[in-house]
Amino acid sequence: MSEAREAAILQALEAVAARAAAAGRLEPAGGESVLQSVADAAVAVFDAVAASIALHDPAMDRLVIRVAGGPAGAGAVGLAFPSSEGIAGYVFTTGQPLVVSDVSADPRFDRATAETTGYVPRSILAVPILAGDASIGVLEVLDGRGQAGFGLRDLDLASAFGRQAAAVVLAGRVERDVTELLRLTLARLAEDPDADGAALDAAVSAIAVGLDGDDGAGLWALADAVARARLAAPDQVSLVVEILDALARRGARPAARTFRR
Amino acid sequence: MTNDLPAWSEPFATGNRDHLGRRGPWGAVDRSWAFGDGTGRGLRIAIVDSGVEASHPAVGGRLVTSVAVERMGEDWSVVETDPLDVVGHGTASAGIIHALVPEAELVSIRVLGPDNRGNGGAFAAGLQWAVEASGASVVNLSLSSRSDAWFAPFHELADLAYFRNVLLVCAANNVSVASYPSLFASVVSVAAHDVPDAATWFYNPEPPVEFGAYGLNVDVAWRGGTRMVVTGNSFAAPHIAGYAARIRGAHPGLTPFETKSILAATADNAR
Repeated sequence: MSEAREAAILQALEAVAARAAAAGRLEPAGGESVLQSVADAAVAVFDAVAASIALHDPAMDRLVIRVAGGPAGAGAVGLAFPSSEGIAGYVFTTGQPLVVSDVSADPRFDRATAETTGYVPRSILAVPILAGDASIGVLEVLDGRGQAGFGLRDLDLASAFGRQAAAVVLAGRVERDVTELLRLTLARLAEDPDADGAALDAAVSAIAVGLDGDDGAGLWALADAVARARLAAPDQVSLVVEILDALARRGARPAARTFRR
Repeated sequence: MTNDLPAWSEPFATGNRDHLGRRGPWGAVDRSWAFGDGTGRGLRIAIVDSGVEASHPAVGGRLVTSVAVERMGEDWSVVETDPLDVVGHGTASAGIIHALVPEAELVSIRVLGPDNRGNGGAFAAGLQWAVEASGASVVNLSLSSRSDAWFAPFHELADLAYFRNVLLVCAANNVSVASYPSLFASVVSVAAHDVPDAATWFYNPEPPVEFGAYGLNVDVAWRGGTRMVVTGNSFAAPHIAGYAARIRGAHPGLTPFETKSILAATADNAR
């Protein structure tokens, strides 16, 4: 292949990556609209003034409100706050849901943030959005249940909404990550046009593993390991499958720890 | 994920408590005997949480030590730190405990913060320090880890505490998931009930979550000298920690399982 041809292919790939990224931003559709419907449903079920879903942005280590429902929710979309502070930060870092029935008693409650949304709530119900063991965000419901306020069972109910949100986020994740993988790989290629096949392969591997952030799910680390195993020993794929199978059986075993009744 | 678990607070909810109606062979055990003077004098209680604000009026100046877990390369180490709370949650727990045992000393172990984000390693390091080095005989844990990867380390720490005569009082996660060490047999696991009374607690003879305590609309201390009204299992646990401290203060020779038995014997459904 001529150098000019290679350059042209590279340029084309870059163009594709740029458009994929742009389209993803313009039409986050699938995921975002389902997330929105989860927030809207939470508003309806809890008779709330607002409900929001904030997801963790590992790069900046902050929580960003992605969607919000309810009459007072619109102003909150796009707001970002530290992932370890405040009510949402506590729920995110500990995975422990929380209801605050009277935040107005605390003048320092993230009033600055609340006021930028144009709404300062009286009560907040916050539950973690969990992907396996890891928190990936927080679902908050503001001023629900009228005068009675939130009850203990509402924590459970809200957790069900949190699980829905988690399913939506995970479903859209691979698609988003592939776009990012492509973008970062091309950037790496542009930095070092002379990189050989092995160097590029190592770079793609590192970028892929980096997509996992620190949420503990390890999807891309696993994908990378499987891909490398296949490349290294195409005839040993069945062995890889057997090993994974054994791991899966081991993972399925701890029934004693699930306390099913 | 184990989504089909029961909600841990359900056994303690109004209308669901019939199965708690039981009397053990506890005739001679009542709260006045169990609690003694109820001051917690001579006792030390550790709070593994977001830190404790020493100057908060609800803490009564009883915070004697404040440490934080910090990352040191791949490891975690425990260092002295300013007596501050990054959230307010630890101060809430401290205030609840101080109200129940006003003369007990409090130790804060901060395992949350910008640098560790509730990491399982930070939590385990903090708990280990609480058990081995804090001098506490009761440790309040409002958090727990959901990660199966941390099952074994926390199991070891729960055993270590038990063998060292340290009682771990753990909030069950509000979300119905398995979390550690809150669901281990040797700890005192607590969920919230819906009775608006701090002096009411229930014993549930069907583990894993054995105690239900005041956790609905609790008026608690919070960061910055303030107060808030809050709900969650993590506010129920400090109530049981406080009562356990009263019992251990009155009967210093008791072991963790004896203390747990007396908590069961003095629960509202056993009286």
